[in-house]
Formats: sequence, structure tokens, C-alpha cells
Amino acid sequence: MPHLAIDNLNADYGATPILRDVDLSVERGEIVAIIGPSGSGKSTLLRVLTGLLKPRSGRVEIAGEVVNYTSAAALRKVRDRFAIVFQQYNLFQNMTALRNVTIAPTIVKKRNAAEVEREARALLEKVGLSHRIDAYPDEMSGGQQQRVAIARALALKPEILLLDEVTSALDPELVAEVLDTIRTLASEGMTMLIVSHEMAFVREVATKVVFMADGRIVEVGPPAQIFDAPQTERCAEFVRRILRH
Amino acid sequence: MSYTLQFGQVTPYLGYLAGGAWLALQLAAIAFVLGWAIGLGCASTLHYGPRWARWPIRAYVVFFLNTPLLVQIFFLYFALPDWGILLGSFQAVVLGMSLNAGAYLTEIQRAGFNSIRQAEVEAAETLGFTRVQSIRYVVLPHILKVLFPPLSNQYIILTMTTSIAAIFGVEELTGRTYNINAQTFRSLEIFSIAALYYVVLTLIASAALYAVGRYFFRIKRSPF
Ligand SMILES: Nc1ncnc2c1ncn2[C@@H]1O[C@H](COP(=O)(O)OP(=O)(O)OP(=O)(O)O)[C@@H](O)[C@H]1O
Ligand SMILES: [Mg+2]
Repeated sequence: MPHLAIDNLNADYGATPILRDVDLSVERGEIVAIIGPSGSGKSTLLRVLTGLLKPRSGRVEIAGEVVNYTSAAALRKVRDRFAIVFQQYNLFQNMTALRNVTIAPTIVKKRNAAEVEREARALLEKVGLSHRIDAYPDEMSGGQQQRVAIARALALKPEILLLDEVTSALDPELVAEVLDTIRTLASEGMTMLIVSHEMAFVREVATKVVFMADGRIVEVGPPAQIFDAPQTERCAEFVRRILRH
Repeated sequence: MSYTLQFGQVTPYLGYLAGGAWLALQLAAIAFVLGWAIGLGCASTLHYGPRWARWPIRAYVVFFLNTPLLVQIFFLYFALPDWGILLGSFQAVVLGMSLNAGAYLTEIQRAGFNSIRQAEVEAAETLGFTRVQSIRYVVLPHILKVLFPPLSNQYIILTMTTSIAAIFGVEELTGRTYNINAQTFRSLEIFSIAALYYVVLTLIASAALYAVGRYFFRIKRSPF
């Protein structure tokens, strides 16, 4: 049984259809990279999965269980299962790194504060930030903030991690530290959907690459297929263009 | 021309003046709290409220921001009795200052609502926060931090504006200064001392606000 099954998913912004008939199957521990031109709906797909945007139709299953996006209460259950990290980190500016990580388990899960803090310290250590635990976001570099955001996402022990261009806002020299963190998670068997323009990284870690255009999945295949022998003209053209840089 | 400073003549009045300063402080504090509440109500209605409620609020703000405070209080004090509403001088001044401050504080707090970072609210949402938790832990701390400096400034401005009450016979700091001047004619001395009292009132408030801002909101800007 796939870990994540997306079946015929459609979503709109207002009256404009954005996602059209998206089908995708992800096995446990898979690292799925989503690539495609700007505006192709990559972020929208992740937003629909986390419940930030309601799908018009279609079905999402996690480990065979249908995800219910209809009510606020049902949505809070979705939030246990997916965690998302954004391009702009979106950390809570009024909280320290540690508090950013502990707050959701504490107030959402109502878990024991001391235990949550122990776990949060371990998570921050894992992303290489034990020395910045008491720093506020505006006192950290972009790479550090993004690693805190990853730790914050992991604090709820999600089943599936969604990463939306998490290195795009970073200076080149800070990209590597964030990619290292993602590599570690990949090696631990976390199921991930990664929207990324870091093609070398995608080729290295992805088990599967999804090419999207105009809100549709145009081609899916292992990195070797997508980058070296794409089956569709659109994908071939996109890959040619992006690899020339 | 020579003028010999004779502070000795006015020292007996220092306590009397301090009483006036105390009244000025009360005026400023009451007007600030009422104005803040009015402003919060109006600003949140502008941000979250129904469309029809925005017009009366806009009219109120535009009217009070574009007419002199003195005229507003004159209106409350002299014109309202024609409609059977009799206000004491203190009440008229407090009401006028509150309504006036309310208009400014509506504008200020509206900026606070507009500065809410939607991305953080979304992050809270994806982490499973309820709407109330998101307001309590993310939106409010941010708004308070953004608003703290302009609210502080507004309080300081109100402190000095209280002197307008003297015109209506309220014996606050300026009113009492005027009284002493009429009795002693030591103008230079007495008005210098009055200025000093105002400085003390505003400096104490600035220092306290600075400490609060620094402790609760990590605002490092110095007030001086
Ligand atoms: N809040 C919104 N309201 C209306 N339309 C939107 C909104 N957000 C995105 N869109 C539209 O939806 C389409 C898909 O956008 P999306 O952000 O998913 O693209 P993307 O593949 O993530 O692009 P990029 O690589 O630039 O991040 C675009 O045409 C965009 O203009
Ligand atoms: Mg995007």
C-alpha cells in the first residue's frame, strides 16, 4: 500500500482551476522531487495537501486512510500527518528558536512541557543549532532560520514532510547546510515531497521526480529518466533549459 | 533691562503645582485608555467588521483628525447643553481628548492590523493551531510589538495636550501655574517650574514605557 496516494485531485483559486487531475503515488520512505516552471502549481499542490487550500474534488489517502479536508476539526487531524516548510521559513518572529519548536507540541498536542523541550533541544541539535537555541529569528541567518523551521515541522512527528523551495531564499553559501539537513532526514527514511530547483540535489536524493506544468503532472520517473531521457517534449525542454544554467 | 530671578516667592506653591501635575497625569491616562479602547474597537471593525460599519468610522476619524481639539471641546462644553447634555469642564475635556485620541489611535492601530504577517498565521494553521491560539500566540504579540512605540508616543503627546484643560477652568498643571502667575507675577520662575514638571511627567512615562517595551517586546530603541 502506498504511503501517500493522490487520486484525481483538482483545486482552484477562485474560479481559476490551478490543479487538474493530479494523480501521484508515494511509497513509504520515498523522496519525491517536484519540478516544473513557475506557476505550474507545485506550491499549490503542497498547500492542498496540508489543508491550506480546499480541493474541489479528488482524494488523498495516507496509508490507506482517506484524508478529510472538509471541517476545521478534521483539518487539525491532517496537520498531524503532513508538515510543511516554506521558502520564507515563516518562523514566529516573537519567539526564540526553541519556542518556535516547542510551541505546537505544547499547545496543540498539550504534551508535557519538559518532555517537549527535551525533544526540541534534540531536534535543534540534529539540525546543527544547539548553540542558537535562545536566538530570535531576526538574530539568525536565513540558513539557520530555515533549519529551525525544519525542526519546528518535525516537532509534531509528521508522517510526511513537505518542503517548498526551502533553499530558494538563501544565499548560495547557506544552501549546503540546509541540504545536509534534508539528506539526514532522507537517510532516516522520512517520506518527503520536495519542490526544488537544486537539480544536482534532486538527482542525488530523489527516488522519483515529478514534472508539473499548467497544474498537471506531465511526467513522472526516476531522476535518470527525467534528466537524461525525458519522455515528453515539455519535460525535455524544461530540463534542457534548467540544466543549461 | 534686568530681571532678578526670585524662586523664593514661588516655592510655597510647589505642592499646589504638584497637585496640578497629578491631575494632568490622570487626564492623560484616562484619555489614553478611553482613546485606546475606541481606537481598538474602530480599527478591528475596519479590519474584520462588515462593510457598512466602515463608513461611520471613517467619518468619525476624518472629522476628528481634521478639526482642532480645542474646537471639539468647545463644542462638547458649550454646544451640547443646547441639546440638554450638560458636561462639567473636566468631563468635557476628558471626553474631547478621548474622542480626539480615539481617532488618532484608530489610524495607528489600523496600521497594526495591516502589518499582520499572513505567512506566520498560515504557519500556525499548518501546525494545527486553532484560530484563537493563532491570535493569542502569533497575531497579538506581533501587533502589540508593532504598536508599542506609536502608542507610547501618543501617550506622551496626550500628557502635554492636557494643558488645554486650563482654558475650561480645570485646575491641572497649566491652570494652577496660571493662577500662581496672577497672584505673584513671577512669570519666568513659575512657568519654568511648570515646564520642569511637564518634563518630569513625560520623562518618567518615557522611561517606564522604554523598560516595558524592552522587557516585553525586545524594542531596543532608546526613548531619549
Ligand atoms: N493566492 C492566490 N490567489 C490566486 N491565484 C494564485 C494564488 N497563489 C497562486 N496562484 C496562481 O496559481 C498558479 C500556481 O501557482 P503556484 O504558486 O502553485 O506555482 P508554483 O509552481 O509553486 O510556482 P513557483 O515556482 O513560482 O513557486 C499560478 O498561476 C498562480 O498565479
Ligand atoms: Mg511555489
